[in-house]
Amino acid sequence: MALLARMRSWWRSVFHRSAMERNMSEELQFHLACRAHDLVERRGLTPDEAMRVARLEFGSIEKYKEEGRASLGLELLDQLHGDVRYALRMLGRNKVFGAAAVITLALGIGANTAIFSLIDAVMLRLLPIDKPEQLVTVLLQEPKGKAGDGFTNALWEAIRDQQDVFSGVFAWSTPKPFELGRGGIVQAVRGLMVSGNYFATLGVAPAAGRLIAEADDRRGCPAVAVLSHSFWQTHFAGAPGALGSSISLNRQIFQVVGVSAPRFFGVEVGKTFDVAIPLCASALFDRRNLDSRFRWWLRIMGRPRLGLTSDQLARRLELLSPSIMSAALPGGDAARRERFLRTIVVATPASRGPSELRRVFGEPLMMLMAMVAFVLLIACANIAGLMLARASTRAKEIAIRNALGASRGRLIRQMLTESIVVSVVGAGLGLLFARWSAALLVRELATARNPIFIDLSLDWRVLGFTAAAAIVTGSVIGLMPAVRSTRMSLIAAIKSSPSAGSERRARLRAGRWIVAGQIALSLVLVIGGGLLLRTFITLLTLDMGFDRSNVLVVIAKAPWFAADIVKMPPEQRSAANDEVVARVRALPGVLSVARAFTTPIGDDNWFTNISVDTPGAPSGDQASVSFNFVTPGYFSTLRTPLVAGRDFDARDTKQSVPVAIVNETLARRFFSDANGIGKRFRKPDRPIPIEIVGIVKDSKYQFVREPIPPTAFLPASQAPRGGEAEEFVVRTSIVSSGLIPEIQRIAAQVNPDLPLEFHTLAEQVDDDLVQERLLGTLAGFFGVLALALAMIGLYGVLSYLVTHRQIEFGIRMALGATRASILRLVMRDVLLVLATGVVVGLAAARVSVTLLQKMLFGLQPDDAATTAISVALLSMMALAAGYLPARRATRVDPMIALRSE
Amino acid sequence: MAQQADLLPGTLDLLILKAVSLGAQHGYGVLLRIEQITGGALAIEQGALYPALYRLEHQGLLDPEWGTSDNNRRAKFYRITAAGRRRLKAETERWNRTALAMNTALRAEEA
Repeated sequence: MALLARMRSWWRSVFHRSAMERNMSEELQFHLACRAHDLVERRGLTPDEAMRVARLEFGSIEKYKEEGRASLGLELLDQLHGDVRYALRMLGRNKVFGAAAVITLALGIGANTAIFSLIDAVMLRLLPIDKPEQLVTVLLQEPKGKAGDGFTNALWEAIRDQQDVFSGVFAWSTPKPFELGRGGIVQAVRGLMVSGNYFATLGVAPAAGRLIAEADDRRGCPAVAVLSHSFWQTHFAGAPGALGSSISLNRQIFQVVGVSAPRFFGVEVGKTFDVAIPLCASALFDRRNLDSRFRWWLRIMGRPRLGLTSDQLARRLELLSPSIMSAALPGGDAARRERFLRTIVVATPASRGPSELRRVFGEPLMMLMAMVAFVLLIACANIAGLMLARASTRAKEIAIRNALGASRGRLIRQMLTESIVVSVVGAGLGLLFARWSAALLVRELATARNPIFIDLSLDWRVLGFTAAAAIVTGSVIGLMPAVRSTRMSLIAAIKSSPSAGSERRARLRAGRWIVAGQIALSLVLVIGGGLLLRTFITLLTLDMGFDRSNVLVVIAKAPWFAADIVKMPPEQRSAANDEVVARVRALPGVLSVARAFTTPIGDDNWFTNISVDTPGAPSGDQASVSFNFVTPGYFSTLRTPLVAGRDFDARDTKQSVPVAIVNETLARRFFSDANGIGKRFRKPDRPIPIEIVGIVKDSKYQFVREPIPPTAFLPASQAPRGGEAEEFVVRTSIVSSGLIPEIQRIAAQVNPDLPLEFHTLAEQVDDDLVQERLLGTLAGFFGVLALALAMIGLYGVLSYLVTHRQIEFGIRMALGATRASILRLVMRDVLLVLATGVVVGLAAARVSVTLLQKMLFGLQPDDAATTAISVALLSMMALAAGYLPARRATRVDPMIALRSE
Repeated sequence: MAQQADLLPGTLDLLILKAVSLGAQHGYGVLLRIEQITGGALAIEQGALYPALYRLEHQGLLDPEWGTSDNNRRAKFYRITAAGRRRLKAETERWNRTALAMNTALRAEEA
């Protein structure tokens, strides 16, 4: 209670300082006026005389004002003001120290702020919409399975029409690349497809025009589009004329009806959109989007009715589930239908929105946070060392202040203010550095195929973090030197003998422990960084089963959700594609060309369960096999060796026996003897068993990190509808991207309708390793940085030691000690510190690297080689950092050293 | 003027609390009331009143409020809070004990 009153009064005085001062003056003036009035009345003085007497009686107005301020708790603040001014002056006077400390802290705090701002944006922040805390994500919970977030349009319509628990519920599809045509130029934009009540439920306001509404989303709807605010700004310069204009999306004409609110990026953190269209308009791109019960392309969120508890919501959804599921039942075998019908609809809170980015990068971000925090800690120790050294040069100043009556607490407070001023200045610069480096990180993370958008605007959490980091670092670097330097005895300090023995020894002891701690921490970071770097290198140099250099991938098909926009029917496309292959093969610099349904580490995949007659072979979901459709020459183009049998050729047609080439894993897993040539397997959609005619070496399918799945390649000539081989692989003897214009020209002549997308096979692989590259390089960099900082710390402490033991060394040498024995003396210290640091570091690393388990590939967290290399590297550097000052110790001239006393 | 005694340290706060407990007052009013209830026997430096008032306000023992004085000027009035009354009671008891002890002690010396 009393505390509260104090806080309130203090708050008033501090934040309404001028009002407080005014009131105080007014109150005192009132007093004087009353007194003067009384004096006139009672003693008959003239008004002027009365005022003079009143002033005299009152005493010193300024003194009482000052005391009044102190009473209100403002003394501390006024002193702080003075301390800060003094600290800034000291910083200005000692420019080298100031600059070194400020820059180190700016980088350290900046790196921490950068990582934290990513954590904030990806993991902590609520969606920038109306009442985000009410939102839930709707999921499908299979019996005894994981909850899935994908829905077919049939399911969405059933949920929309049958639910009675949401005040608003909406579906959307993750932003997809749309082909935007304007004035003959075609470019890719990010297209969002949303149900009619998407914007209304989220409570997003239009920045111009109107947003998509319920009435826009019904079968056969007119094609309307809403632009995102940033797209409107960048592509239409924010012109009002954009409203009502027509744009071409995936070759369909849409009318722009409005612009969404600034800063609204959708509900998926990590993604954003340029244009949004109603779900019903997706039928213009491909009829099956709305009708297929196999396209799981929608996600659903909703706002439950107010007053509904989460239990009530769950119970009601479960009750509704059977009728919803049966309304949207797809085909499939009995077991699958049964499982589908028993699936229930569930809802989980989603105030931050769903995010693939969060799922993938949550843990790595936390790990990076820990790493940068460690680096900052190591840097702090160095600065604390510098402060300590500086404090000893200021011993006289401190002693005099102490003698003049400053209490020890007051002195510590003043010195802490100095270090906090340094860290606050550092943090200010660090914030700028963080803005820049966080944006850089996001750019590094994004690829052409997977653009990433993160709203990095500052919020109170990031600013609070930076402020807290500044205060904590300031205290960490300042407290130890402040406490230590004020403990000195007055006399010793004023006499200023350079060898105030016991204090110096204490300081050296503390310095050694700090350096040992730095070495331990940096060892943890070096080992962690080493593991991640080796993971990346392992992945990069992995034998993937194909040669990715000089291969151009040409994707000559519309994306699945817009398959209808290519007018040429599939039967004719195959012949057209054959012609393109033939003409590209004839280009100079082209070694070979082939087509496939999907290329390695590409965007598409195709899995089906197969069955074989071999007793004991896998069956059911254990028998899932990856498929691909390829033309003859595919394996030689990718340089995947054929181990046995033959490649496809002109013999394999729709009429001939269905054949397949399988990889070694499939042959081994299904036919136990590695040779499966002549064996058969069945695919559920084919009446005739498929005969194996060849076996190829294992090669990666869709992801570098996943184990190679059993894979079957079928000839493109025998592919069913939907399995068209429309990705070209072109092996070249020249830089493959140089061929793009030629290929574009040929494709345009054969089929001008064909959408084309180019990248190299190497790019496809690189894109899949973005996370590992970023983590490996960052962690490696932080490891090296930590190591360098620890070595600077070691060097600093040893230099100090050598300088202060000069006399001792001089005496020893005068008494006959050899240079080697002096060197041994100093190096013994180095070894002691190093050994302590390494032992502690190894113990700490053992515990902490297990957290990396999931991020590693091809090695275990306790990988002996990485540990050994890290320790060796660290020891080598430590010995080098220690040797330099040690050698200086041996160069002490005994006479000079002795005279200096 | 009658002979005045100097204020013992710490007693000013008690006097102010007592004065204000008799009814809300502005600073000058507090001074007059202290003079009145002490019969003008104690010397108070007028300016010293204010730091003391602020201290009591800061501790939540007094509750200030701006109002209008008898002569129609804006003035800051102090009212005693519940915490202030508790403090006044406690301090009064302490003072009485001290005064009693002092009286007893001094009388014994005389005898």
